[in-house]
Amino acid sequence: MELNTHKWTMVIDQDRCTGCSACVIACHAENNVPIVDENQVWRGRGMHWIRIERYWEPDGQYVKARLLPVLCQQCDSAPCEPVCPVFATYHSERQNLNVQVYNRCVGTRYCSNNDPYKVRYFNFFPPQWDEPLNQQLNPDVTVRSAGVMEKCSFCVQRIARAEQAALAEGRQLDPSEVVPACVQTCPPSALLFGDLNDPNSQIASVLAGSKGRQYRLLEDLGTQPSVYYLKGGETNVGA
Amino acid sequence: MARSISRRSFLKAGAAVAATSVLAGCQPGLRRWVTLEPYVVAPEEQPDGIPTWYASVCRGCPAGCGIMARVMNGRAVKIEGNPEHPLNAGKLCANGQAGLQILYNPDRLDAPLLTAKRGSREFARLPWDSALSTLAAKVKDAGSAVAIVLGPTTSGHLVDLFQRLAKALGAPAPLVFDARSSWSGTAALSAANQALWGQGALSAYDLGGSDVIYSFGADFLGAGLSPTRYGIEYGRFRSQPKGARGYLVQFEPHMSITAAKADQWVPIAPGTEGLVAQAIARIIADEGLGTSDRIARAAALAGEINLASAAQAAGVDVQQLRQLAQVFAEAQRPLAIPGNGQSGAAGVTAAQALNAIAGGAGMALQGNPPAPALVRAEPAGYGQVQHLIGQMGSGAVKALLTYGTNLAYELPAQAGFLDALDKVGFVATFSPFMDEMGANSDMVLAERTYLESWGYAVVAPDFGVAAVTSQQPVVQPLNDARSAGDVLLAMAKQIPSAAGAFTWSDEVAFLREVAGGLPAGAAGGTGADAQWARFLQHGGWWPASAPASQPTPPPSASAPISVAAPQYQGDATIYPFHLHVFASPLLGISGANLPWLQGSPDPLTSMCWQTWVAINPATARKLGVQKSDVVRVTTPYGELEAPVYAYPAVRPDTIAVPLGQGHTDLGRYAQGRGASPLALLGGDAGPDGEPAWATVRCQVTPTGRSVNMATFEWTPGVEQGFFNQGYPGE
Repeated sequence: MELNTHKWTMVIDQDRCTGCSACVIACHAENNVPIVDENQVWRGRGMHWIRIERYWEPDGQYVKARLLPVLCQQCDSAPCEPVCPVFATYHSERQNLNVQVYNRCVGTRYCSNNDPYKVRYFNFFPPQWDEPLNQQLNPDVTVRSAGVMEKCSFCVQRIARAEQAALAEGRQLDPSEVVPACVQTCPPSALLFGDLNDPNSQIASVLAGSKGRQYRLLEDLGTQPSVYYLKGGETNVGA
Repeated sequence: MARSISRRSFLKAGAAVAATSVLAGCQPGLRRWVTLEPYVVAPEEQPDGIPTWYASVCRGCPAGCGIMARVMNGRAVKIEGNPEHPLNAGKLCANGQAGLQILYNPDRLDAPLLTAKRGSREFARLPWDSALSTLAAKVKDAGSAVAIVLGPTTSGHLVDLFQRLAKALGAPAPLVFDARSSWSGTAALSAANQALWGQGALSAYDLGGSDVIYSFGADFLGAGLSPTRYGIEYGRFRSQPKGARGYLVQFEPHMSITAAKADQWVPIAPGTEGLVAQAIARIIADEGLGTSDRIARAAALAGEINLASAAQAAGVDVQQLRQLAQVFAEAQRPLAIPGNGQSGAAGVTAAQALNAIAGGAGMALQGNPPAPALVRAEPAGYGQVQHLIGQMGSGAVKALLTYGTNLAYELPAQAGFLDALDKVGFVATFSPFMDEMGANSDMVLAERTYLESWGYAVVAPDFGVAAVTSQQPVVQPLNDARSAGDVLLAMAKQIPSAAGAFTWSDEVAFLREVAGGLPAGAAGGTGADAQWARFLQHGGWWPASAPASQPTPPPSASAPISVAAPQYQGDATIYPFHLHVFASPLLGISGANLPWLQGSPDPLTSMCWQTWVAINPATARKLGVQKSDVVRVTTPYGELEAPVYAYPAVRPDTIAVPLGQGHTDLGRYAQGRGASPLALLGGDAGPDGEPAWATVRCQVTPTGRSVNMATFEWTPGVEQGFFNQGYPGE
């Protein structure tokens, strides 16, 4: 089995993220993520593979807002993987990603229970698109049914397409060809994506140049996320 | 076939090694690892489909961003920004990304509709020929008493055709207006630039190169004049060379996402943006801050003002104003962003005056379109809307045609638009949907959506690079809706006075003629056919090389800027709070029929699907209400009921309500949901001609009811985040 040579990594610059949520909509469109109705949102069943978290910090009489885009961290040591009784979620050595296989999932929801980032979303009901909204569905991405867990895949379908194109053209994949939907649309370029194994990548140079600002979410849990955050606001003190 | 193994050893094996492998077989010597690799990646003989990409324009707002639609098997499955387009360079905002739900919306109209009783919502379907001849007959009978209202996202060629129709009929020129253009301060900005520089044009700001930015109530990162491009600029602003990250100050009563990203949020009272801008200008002059040029310009532009009164009206300290003035005056490349027209046209002018004082570097005034034949949908000031309503109410309008503007919903009831509509003989609306305007019309002409249509958009504001975005259908039209351009051309042939003005066989012929007048541009192509093909293929026209940036001319205001103190509407003893009406960055004013926008969380409250009343937690406690309690908000003009969201980032004396819900029409996702705060506003203009929608006072009363609130966040977590000590300021 061919081992993966790419280490797909995302960098999120919190100083640039404006909370505009273009990434949220782009992801829904690209990945056939259903929209949940009002009542189910109230019950905590909203589904957004990427979400903007807003934290308030006291600031005198008022507050400061901190915005944090959160998506599946594609952990190298993912707590969601060992608990699936049917191996619907596992670490793909080929892709170096935390992979979710829809037709294998039986809906125990143990993975989401174990996930500290709460980025896994369960289809409690059959997702529904009033016709002809279903014509918009992306044929590259499976449309999930009820009882199936789903989450961000780093747009694995775009990775696969780029790999196929490279194979068909008899050349190596250039990692900068791979752009997930959220990264592609982000106007302030707060979301960056690339192959950390490629020393010439933008990702590698951004991370090398921002050691003072870098952190990963809940790092002390030992999940080894593939998403790096760069501190924003007045905590952006440069390199 | 492996013997079944116990669940315990199965799990032990799975947990211990990479999950792709499973121990199969239990006999020693026969153990082997089996790899499980379900199809995340399909086998080689199942290749992916090949998409076709079509360039076009986004019509989510008037900015004119270039888009590419990914089309597979004739279906548009994804929209992306056009990477070649100089305005948005491949990026696209949430509203633009949601466009496919306009194309594939289940509530689209597919035939012309006619009602016998306006407002009954009982329509009969007509064949197109019959609709065209009825429409032509009605317009012909109206003679020159025809009024036309267009939305600011209307294609330039349609504006052109409607203008030609009006001229041929001897009717007044079409009016361009919608609520969003008012909320983004479009007309007020043009008026301000006319006053300061003698150019009634929009201006855009190079945030990326600025060190200090003062935004006077402009939510430029949200539903503003050019959200995608300002998002791009913001990214550059925070990533300047040598680690510089700029300093942004936002002046507004309720925290928008722009204020959330600001280094300093100054929560001023609604309607005082202009006072604060003028005060800053005055301080620069009086205290001699910054360069001598800046001081001289400030002395010329800033009218007399009582600083203490201005500070008190805004709710800030004079000392704070002094510090702000000093930072601005001494910055290298400061910029002031004028806010929406609700702060008064004078308020917008005062903010622009700060740019004039700073020297104008980083500000680009909109130039002329690259070809004289190109037409732009330029939003009118509110005064012209009031004039039209007056004309309608006096019976002077025999036929009203509307396109792309849902005025029956987007104006407060007190503006009198619906009442005046009663006196109009015949009302016809072009729309893909049955919105409130359609529901109050005699005839609704099923219009194609923008992704099935031809046209162009003159990019405005253009950020110093003149550009025209092309528009072409990205899919075959889904149903029997027809494009307004072709309807107009067909209809005009049946009106003797107009027939001569419309010689083109169809709108594409007209478009080709207009596009043919463009000079050589980046897309290239030799000869008319090749140029037209490239215009469509690349998504528009822009110059082959970036033009030199035009220096801003020195200001030429004839009189110093003077902003009056806001005149609040409503007796403060009956209406103790200020009302602040705003647009959420997702829903905006017109997104209610798109599930992606309804169902995605508002970034600062995570609210979905509902209207909320944002109340400072300290105030909510005094009122005895908490999140989910339904309150009634009353103003001198109307009332609204919606649940409370305890929002710590709003002034305690201000209640904020987002626009966008409260539809009676517009389809299943929009109807009967939430409430529109436009019901709380008056219809009169303020002293300077723009709607006085920032200066309304309100009262809040608990109703005793509560609802389930669809927030994506978990509220106890948010509230407990303040460690049970309560929100700041309580």
